[in-house]
Amino acid sequence: MRAFLYDRPTAVDEAVAAVAADPQAAFLAGGTTQVDLMKDGVWTPDRLVDITRLPLRGILVESQQLKVGALTTMEELAAEPVVAQRLAFVREALLHGASVQLRNMATIGGNLLQRTRCRYFRDPTVSACNRRSPDSGCAAVDNVARMHAILGVDERCIALHASDVAVPLIAVDASVLVNGPAGQRRIPLTEFWVRADEGPSIENVLGHGDLITEIDIPLLPQGWRSGYLKVRDRASYEFALTSAAVALQLDGDLIADIRIALGGVGSVPWRAREAEEMLRGTPVDPLRFEQAGRAVMASAFTVPGTAFKVDLAVRTLSRQLLTMTEAKR
Amino acid sequence: MTATQPDLGTWVGKGIDRVEGPHKVTGTAPYASDVTLPGMLHAVVVTSTIAAGSIVKIDSSALLTLPGVRAVFTHENFPRLNTPTQVLFGEAPVVPMQDARIAFHGQEVALVVADTPQEATEAARLLEITYAAEPPLLDPAGQRRETLPSSPDTSRGDTDAGWAAADVRVGATYRTPENTNNPLGLMGCVAVWDGDHLEIHDSTQGTIALRTILAGMFGVPESGVRVRVPYLGGGFGAGLNQWPYKILAAGAARELGVPVKLMLTRPQMFRLVGHRPNSEHQVRLGAARDGGLTMIEHRATSLSSMDFPAVGLLTSGTPHLYDCANVATVERTVRLNRRYPTSMRAPGEAEGNWAVETAMDELAHELGMDPLDLRLRNLATERDPATGKPWSSNAVIECCRVGAELFGWSRRDPRPASTREGDLLIGQGMAACGFFAYMPMSQARVTIYADGTAAVRSAATDIGTGTYTIITQVAADLLGLHPQQVDFQLGDSDMPASAHSGGSGLASSLSNAVIDAVSHLRGELLALAGPDSPLHGLAPDDVVCRDGALCRRDDPSAREPIADLLAGSGLVELAADGRLRPPEGAARDMVHAAAYGARFVEVAIDPMIGRLRVRRVVTVTDGGRILNKKLARSQILGATVGGIGQALFEDTLTDPGTGRVANGTFGDYLVAVNADVPDVEVAFVGEPDRYTPSGTKGIGEIGLVGVAAAIGNAVFHATGRRARDLPITVDQLMM
Amino acid sequence: MKTTRTTTRVPSAQDLYTVDVFTVVNGSPMQWRVDTRTTLLEALRDTAGLTGTKRGCDQGACGACTVHVDGKRVLSCLTLAAQADGRQVTTIEGLAGDDGPHPLQEAFLRHDAFQCGFCTPGQLMSAACLLREGRAGSDAAIREYMSGNLCRCGAYDNIVAAIRDVAKGAD
Repeated sequence: MRAFLYDRPTAVDEAVAAVAADPQAAFLAGGTTQVDLMKDGVWTPDRLVDITRLPLRGILVESQQLKVGALTTMEELAAEPVVAQRLAFVREALLHGASVQLRNMATIGGNLLQRTRCRYFRDPTVSACNRRSPDSGCAAVDNVARMHAILGVDERCIALHASDVAVPLIAVDASVLVNGPAGQRRIPLTEFWVRADEGPSIENVLGHGDLITEIDIPLLPQGWRSGYLKVRDRASYEFALTSAAVALQLDGDLIADIRIALGGVGSVPWRAREAEEMLRGTPVDPLRFEQAGRAVMASAFTVPGTAFKVDLAVRTLSRQLLTMTEAKR
Repeated sequence: MTATQPDLGTWVGKGIDRVEGPHKVTGTAPYASDVTLPGMLHAVVVTSTIAAGSIVKIDSSALLTLPGVRAVFTHENFPRLNTPTQVLFGEAPVVPMQDARIAFHGQEVALVVADTPQEATEAARLLEITYAAEPPLLDPAGQRRETLPSSPDTSRGDTDAGWAAADVRVGATYRTPENTNNPLGLMGCVAVWDGDHLEIHDSTQGTIALRTILAGMFGVPESGVRVRVPYLGGGFGAGLNQWPYKILAAGAARELGVPVKLMLTRPQMFRLVGHRPNSEHQVRLGAARDGGLTMIEHRATSLSSMDFPAVGLLTSGTPHLYDCANVATVERTVRLNRRYPTSMRAPGEAEGNWAVETAMDELAHELGMDPLDLRLRNLATERDPATGKPWSSNAVIECCRVGAELFGWSRRDPRPASTREGDLLIGQGMAACGFFAYMPMSQARVTIYADGTAAVRSAATDIGTGTYTIITQVAADLLGLHPQQVDFQLGDSDMPASAHSGGSGLASSLSNAVIDAVSHLRGELLALAGPDSPLHGLAPDDVVCRDGALCRRDDPSAREPIADLLAGSGLVELAADGRLRPPEGAARDMVHAAAYGARFVEVAIDPMIGRLRVRRVVTVTDGGRILNKKLARSQILGATVGGIGQALFEDTLTDPGTGRVANGTFGDYLVAVNADVPDVEVAFVGEPDRYTPSGTKGIGEIGLVGVAAAIGNAVFHATGRRARDLPITVDQLMM
Repeated sequence: MKTTRTTTRVPSAQDLYTVDVFTVVNGSPMQWRVDTRTTLLEALRDTAGLTGTKRGCDQGACGACTVHVDGKRVLSCLTLAAQADGRQVTTIEGLAGDDGPHPLQEAFLRHDAFQCGFCTPGQLMSAACLLREGRAGSDAAIREYMSGNLCRCGAYDNIVAAIRDVAKGAD
């Protein structure tokens, strides 16, 4: 690990100023991605500004939304009763992510900013990585890809955004509040991440010195139900091969309204708007579930190791819809 | 003749708690990684980023200006060492950093030594190396490969005739991937020299082999090298070979004149301490309509490295398990620019059994016969079918019968894809198995003290299997003491030489060495009995130790307190050595029997999303005499978890173009976690084995064998789809 | 630019890359001056000499380094020592009480919930929190919430049995 300077400010403005003033500085929160990347030698900041003592921890429950401090841990958010009542799929996604130890460390803000798990990205002895080093190529495309993305990617980069909780969060139109050198602004999560096929070396719209201070999560209206299905090789402690976050409101046999996002498939957490539109206002119909999934996958880019994910993602979504509508396959 | 030792049974067999357990649950057990010596420096290995070619330039001078860096060793300045001697236990190592040649991606090319681990790690990251790369040999089907025999070919009868005579025939290709041992303890060592004396704290499974190799390579007397391994963070075979990292640490410590600590990283554990190599098996089976096997043919190939021998053993069990007149096995290995293979828990058998026991299930299906009945019809229980000699023990039929009973096999609907529970397909599968007998030499010293306590000493290691405990129990019974009065010390090469913990051989080897030592000790004690003693003139087998006294076996009232015998001769202690003895009498004409087992598994598969969960496992083992029923059960449980990992998760991948390990972390290489494992039902059957006095058969590995095939066969039963390649993953199970 | 350093002393060139950490480990106040890169795992093992906490992967993927920080189970290999400043840390060396071993330590011994013992300190620290978290209500829950602790020897069934035993005793 490269040697670095360490600061631990106590006010948000100080933290933002400290990072903004030094191009080689970065924020440090839970560290579960960052310390790992520093050990791998993939990420070599000269100065870490530890934000873990900033007053950005806690959950404010309002009538229509949760205001979640960016330093709230995954375990803390999962334990919030309102999350269980009104955002079941957020809770399920949280508890299906990582391990308890990691969830006690990892913050919600940091979770959204986690870097890809691609082993080619994480091994600096691999020179071909457009995400690390623009125009160097993509070793993953030519080698062993399995835990990689099939949506929002092309032959330049197939890096996966591996977050679980970001999947339901993007489905409910959560947004982040950002403090930066230019002041405060709000960014909807649907506009927060940059797809790999739109520029593999840029992961999100944050600028240097921008700090997520809060995540605002709209509560699902009364009468909605939601759920998160995660498919993986082992039963626990693994990133998703595919996942589906679904929230819907049934009116008899009719899907009155629906929100869908998919995980394990995108270079960014993947809002499946085509599927939502195909299903909104239609009767519960297993065949239509599958067609909706296929529509989302129409733009998939696969390599041999990820080809199975197209079918698996369709099935994952179908299964979750079947479960939530109690329809038969 | 070799008689079963009569004095085992008071403590032997009982499920006493691990004697070293209190150290492990308090964090006070010292592993090699926990050793700190005054003035110690920290070394980090730098590995190659090409798979074939040579080093053109290493610019180490820049590193020496970095904070804390004390030395950088490369092939240019690392000492030239003697060619390592071949040792009995394990292959001689490849000597690191003797020239510029690169033979695999991840090979040791430099060693950076600094004051702190952080400084050494950072400097190692910055080391610039220029290579002249050559196209590596990585494709096993490529044209330029070198193919070598890795186990002797075997043949009996006429397999062509057996094939022609068969009513039903099956033949298919089965594959297993590379698996990495990955003990949880990162391997490493601390080496310190005092003149020509070397002391090394290491993670080896064999202290004596390391001593012999290091002494030879550094040209110092074997008596001056001391290897210390009181605790091992697992190994599963990764600690059998004396890997280059130890040589690097010892060399650096000698050059620098200070203690050097070298710990591998987890990614390096995938590259530098071996793995279970990929294998491919062509199996053909023929049977008569009644299920009687008419032929077995097993041709297998594994992958190996350029400079290190293959593990082999893929076909080792095939000639022995089933009673069949026509059997042929052929085994080859292909040398490629790949990292070194080694033994991994149940080496060869775990892969060969996957192939043969899956083929047996295919045969049963083609015959329309219950897979259990096909096994019962063909298992060789009286004699080894390869030699015709009687087994020293064999309860494989009982394993199958008891397992079937515990599992409720008779209630199974034999039709594939016949059982549904909601969205789930339920399947049940079984497999039979053996794990070859292997029993290298061990020696032990037993000392009895005037205060009534005793010590046993041997250079063995306890890899977690329970050596500390079972040997304590054996000695307690033989000496007539409570286990708390027996102190078993191990893990030190200055003690009497012992086999490594490996090949499931140590429990048998060492327990028999202790039996021999105590027999000698009784002889020594008898020699102290004067002419007036009721024991005068008796032979060692005529007496036993009981309640602090030496007694006539047939009349315990004729006794001499051991303390009195010692005091009478001015002794405060008396020691005797023992070793594993060759079989005697009838045992000489027997075939030393394998451990046997039968595995029964139930899986639930959600075919829509390819999700498989192992719901139930019944595992029955013939391990001869069980020395500690609690710890023996743990061995089988743990191996079952390893088998679940082999079946469903473990798959070390290699980049096809560069030979780089593609998934060399615990985040990317999946091993079974707690949630993957059901409650496993463990049972033991069989009698003490007749080959040695202790009657025990090693059980460290047998528990893994057969698990993968039973799972695969359950998958077929659940779905009607046959899995022939491991691991069986989501993408294979979507239907 | 105004920032708060963890110490008020005037730093020298080399001091810039060190940090002073004041923490309470197993009830004892400790002060470490360490390289900023030092993880909590390294500080515990190398600086404090508390080697019971193990390094199994150093990448947050095995759980062997699990310790408690302010009562919560975390991975010490991904926690910078500097981040433990002002925190209460508990390691395996502090799990037992003054009146003897923690019930989990006895249960692990009784149920043979370990073999090589290397993952055991992490398993025990994790299990101690699991009980506090109220997640030992069923075998399925124990298995799920203990899945962050790999055991390569495969002692999982016995780990579950040991935890179940203690959880029942605590009812």
